[in-house]
Amino acid sequence: MTEAPGQDDAITEELFRSALAALGDEMALTIYRTSYSGVLKNIMDYSAALCDADGRLAAQGLSVPGHLCSIPVALRAALARYGKEICPGDVIAMNDPYEGGMHLPDIFVFRPIFFTGAVVAWAATICHHTDVGGRVPGSNASDSTEIYAEGLRIPPLKLYREGMPDESLFRIIEKNVRVPERVLGDLRAQLAACEIAERGMAQLLARHGAAGVRRLIAATMDYSERLTRLAIGALPDGEATFTDWIDDDQIDAGKEIPLVCTVRKRGEAMEIDWTGSSPQVKGAINNTFSYTAAASFTAAKSVLATDMPNNDGVFRAIRVIAPPGTIANALPPAACAARGLTGFRMLDCCLGALALLYPDRVPAASEGGNTGITIGGSDAAGRAFIYVDFLSGSWGGRPWADGLEGNTNMFANMASFPIEVIEAENPLEVLDYGIVPDSGGPGKFRGGMALRRTWRMLAEEGILQVRADRATHRPYGLQGGAPGWPSENLLDPETEREHRLPAKLTMTLRRGEVFRHRLAGAGGWGDPLSRDFALLDKDLSEGLVGIEAAARDYGVVATGDPPRIDRAASEALRARLRATRPPCPAVARMVLAE
Amino acid sequence: MSFRVGIDIGGTFTDLVAIDASGRVTIAKIASTPADYTAGIMAGLARLSARAGGEKEVAEVLHASTIASNALLEGKGAKTALITTAGFRDVLEIRDLRMPRLYDLAWRKPPPLVPRRLRLEVVERIRPDGSVARPLDETSLAAAIARLAAERVESVAIAFLHSYANPVHERAVAAAVRAALPGISISESAEILPEIKEYPRTSTAAINAFIQPLVADYLGRLAEKLRGGGIAAPLRLLQSNGGLATPAFAERFPAHLVESGPAAGVVGAAALARRLAEPRLISFDMGGTTAKAGLVEGGRTLGAEAMEVGGGVLAGARLLTGAGYLLKLPSIDLAEVGAGGGSICRLDAAGAPKVGPESAGAEPGPVCYGLGGTEPTITDCNLVLGYLDPAGLAGGTLKLDRAAAAAALARAIAAPLGLSLEEAAHGMLRIATAGMMRAVRAITVERGRDPRDFSLLAFGGNGPLFAAWLAAELGIARVLVPPHPGIFSAFGLLVADTEYHFARSLRTRMDNQTTTASFAALASAAAGLRDEGAARLAAEGFPPARQAFRSSALARYAGQSSEIAVPLPPDAAPACDFRERFASEHLATYGFRAPAGEPVEITGLALVARGLPEHPRLPERIIAETPPQAAQSRPCWFPGLGWMETPVLPRGALGPAPLPGPLIVAEYDATVLVPPGASAAADDFGMIRITLGS
Repeated sequence: MTEAPGQDDAITEELFRSALAALGDEMALTIYRTSYSGVLKNIMDYSAALCDADGRLAAQGLSVPGHLCSIPVALRAALARYGKEICPGDVIAMNDPYEGGMHLPDIFVFRPIFFTGAVVAWAATICHHTDVGGRVPGSNASDSTEIYAEGLRIPPLKLYREGMPDESLFRIIEKNVRVPERVLGDLRAQLAACEIAERGMAQLLARHGAAGVRRLIAATMDYSERLTRLAIGALPDGEATFTDWIDDDQIDAGKEIPLVCTVRKRGEAMEIDWTGSSPQVKGAINNTFSYTAAASFTAAKSVLATDMPNNDGVFRAIRVIAPPGTIANALPPAACAARGLTGFRMLDCCLGALALLYPDRVPAASEGGNTGITIGGSDAAGRAFIYVDFLSGSWGGRPWADGLEGNTNMFANMASFPIEVIEAENPLEVLDYGIVPDSGGPGKFRGGMALRRTWRMLAEEGILQVRADRATHRPYGLQGGAPGWPSENLLDPETEREHRLPAKLTMTLRRGEVFRHRLAGAGGWGDPLSRDFALLDKDLSEGLVGIEAAARDYGVVATGDPPRIDRAASEALRARLRATRPPCPAVARMVLAE
Repeated sequence: MSFRVGIDIGGTFTDLVAIDASGRVTIAKIASTPADYTAGIMAGLARLSARAGGEKEVAEVLHASTIASNALLEGKGAKTALITTAGFRDVLEIRDLRMPRLYDLAWRKPPPLVPRRLRLEVVERIRPDGSVARPLDETSLAAAIARLAAERVESVAIAFLHSYANPVHERAVAAAVRAALPGISISESAEILPEIKEYPRTSTAAINAFIQPLVADYLGRLAEKLRGGGIAAPLRLLQSNGGLATPAFAERFPAHLVESGPAAGVVGAAALARRLAEPRLISFDMGGTTAKAGLVEGGRTLGAEAMEVGGGVLAGARLLTGAGYLLKLPSIDLAEVGAGGGSICRLDAAGAPKVGPESAGAEPGPVCYGLGGTEPTITDCNLVLGYLDPAGLAGGTLKLDRAAAAAALARAIAAPLGLSLEEAAHGMLRIATAGMMRAVRAITVERGRDPRDFSLLAFGGNGPLFAAWLAAELGIARVLVPPHPGIFSAFGLLVADTEYHFARSLRTRMDNQTTTASFAALASAAAGLRDEGAARLAAEGFPPARQAFRSSALARYAGQSSEIAVPLPPDAAPACDFRERFASEHLATYGFRAPAGEPVEITGLALVARGLPEHPRLPERIIAETPPQAAQSRPCWFPGLGWMETPVLPRGALGPAPLPGPLIVAEYDATVLVPPGASAAADDFGMIRITLGS
């Protein structure tokens, strides 16, 4: 089909947007196809994007929400360093959190796209690499206290100059990471994605010319901005502040860390302000600005009614403020490898502020994000093993429906490790994996039930590392809904040796010892005494709510197996409970003494 | 003389195609009868027989249907229970945690096929090496069986951990359930999918159990009706992998039938590719609501190892899984987008023009049908531009209202965007085409193929209308349109072969020390699998000379997390050769190979066992039913050219000499559009060949 030259009607713009989005997805798929490591395949912890010549995001491929906005921040840092010294065939790599990066395992790769002698666009990728050196395998310890312990720090540097690899940089990477073949393999995947982008852009440039592509990229951003502003404008104005907490940073054990989020909404603009949040902490859970922004945008996007393409236009309509020196925007040399936890809690916190403004749109708190579990050591034959898993799984009750259970936290969209693969590849036996009844916060729409998983060590010994949270600050409930159960770590459960372990730990696990992790249950939404009998009937017959909990939390009288609800007795019980209890709070929290 | 009959049941229509040894084709298209699909089949057979002169004997009945997938989509399967290893009954519900949509607080997981109260646990444990860690506990088994009886469960799936390594406990439980509750349907996970990873295996077994009673009942009724209608011909069912199976196999493993409808068209494309010596072909099937693209290379379809049933259509996002029910059985790989004739054209909140995925469906249908549709659709756009005949579709049985279509399009699109009616209509077709490009790119570019190296085979009611535009956008030079494109899927059934797919988990590592030993293990496992395949084919009456096998190993570099299938030579070859084969396959798929000496891990084996037909299934040429029709012409609008009087020809008017576009070939069930700059010819076999300008 022929193109009328120099004319961008609505059809042309839509076709260009579609082509750009398809290209972003193809880049992401290229990384998926060609990468080496399970981090990328199982967890999909990578993103790909196209940016304009100034580093503004034009299109982002499939990705984890945690990477939203990270690419333009990093690319602009690279542009600040190299300015005009960019040549065709150059490739820039970087991971330094204090020069545009996120945390050290996230390596960015950028490649300029030239047309008739000038940069018209950038291909950009970010991948979470298996290891970048530092004191622990995986480079993600939560108890480092300085970035210098966390691994190899790469400021924006040219990995290729005019098509020629920089041997020095490659050799330094090779010598500083534990699994160089995987890291170099995954870097190759990033380069392959950039090449796909270059080919795709060549077709668009041939059709529209450099000026046309610039114009159409700008129109693409304007379109997202328009959609975002329309969606924001449809909401009432207002301002609300919400506080949530991280239990502790593992270094200052037991010292709670406040996150404070203020959402201001005026007309067609929104501001998300983290002023008042904790100063940066000793442990490695400090955020860079771009990660705070990612959590903020994810919360805002999920509450807005429109699914707008992710690009600079969205960022123009939503402003994020994070004071330097706080956990939301740390200064060097703060450690940040395990800042994933802070991102999850920021999402809960920002959604909490949005819930105060728009109570009919926002669910209660999720399980609080994933728990990272690593078990490593040597098997009977002396071969080293390392098992890394992330468990997540329940959503808070929603104003229109129950929270999900057995579903990833939406900030990460990660898969869990298959049990049979864990057992086939590691000296571990998994004793159970399932839903924990009664653990979700009661509500008119209840929170999702927690998941738990239990392991037995079969080798002589190994090192167990756990990064969990929400053990003291439980997931909040909303509009009368109750908080979910806290998370819990147990050693040798259901024996006389059973005892509780802290949420964050590093310890030796010996042969025959059993470790159990239970995630937190999600918060409930709305008054549990108004929960529909039909829903409770299902909860009871499915064994998700027990007979005792039904009476205590929901005012429902049930007997038998399968349990049947006595409606008349239940109405009476509900009336009694309503008369004696305190009024329902808008936000229900519960803090457990450690 | 006898003919063979292909029957494809879709949601709206049941298509029947009969072909005799001379290649003469008879077709019938009738409304499906969802209350009892066999009624529609018998009516269709009667019509076929009447049209063919009533003297022909039915030699074979080949069948694909949406019955299994509908049962899943509508949740209308049997009352099903699941028996698992103690501690793991929630695996089915937890799935792999992933969800298909980001930023969507309203996301709703598909409800598990087996509710929690019917997910029963039995104490037992097998280790990954197949040894028994805990024997089967009779007490918990008895309790589970009592529960099945008390709940009047109709079908049960059994899925124990590591049963792929040793199915002894699953078998024992199946035997105990069968003895206690005769008549209950039983699906053992290791029998359906003897592969590592508990969730895919459990989910597949649960799907099988959920649809088994329904499919068995349907097949029983169909066999009875056929017998009652005097048809003694053998009945074969198409599987999602494109191979035919006996009713006995289908009753036992109905999970293999779930995606048989869409598979049939690609099977037909593969047969044509072999017959016409087309090395690389993209099948493009566009109907009323969706468009599907498949790949044929070297005469073979490309497989996918898993599908998500009810997951909706591709949104450029095949990596985001979890939308439907996971079925990990081999199927023909298809990429689907929500773009069909009924797709609705709209402006979004910010004024951007969008096509689909909402569809006007058959009711109310496009505005031009005059059945109450008010929003313009792709079919309305095609009508406005003159590409469709205002006198009507389906040989004039359905009149089309061009004025109504134009008014709707002007109101919804053209006026708000400040475009002429024709520009707007054509623009919407281009946007729909962009969506279809994503489907084609998903099966080519994402697999390392360049679409420009392929020809496009277009079928389905709307495929031949869009094929030339789509090919031009993708840089494809040639488009083929088969006879009777509107019912090509039913035709595909007629050229399928009996085929069974087997798979096994197997873990072995090949490095410089262990290569020989691990290859011996691989070769012996492959031989065992092949014996199993040979036995099944022999039992179905295929002598050794008509058996063919294709084995492959799933392999990866140590440290990688996903595997690629590496074809194994028919006879045991030296071990070093396998690593070399793997490396070149890796290079072809991913664009690079590791340095020689890098250890390779094998994780599984797969075998395709084919029963070859006695006679070639595809005749020398296809003699299509062509109603006599005079050449006409009508005005059509083309971008940059405006309105042009465009010849409208019957297929028979095309010959070996290419005719230049614009022209339209009008058929009973489809319209072929040859735009300006392209040309069209017909070949001896009966295909229309469209060549695009440079």
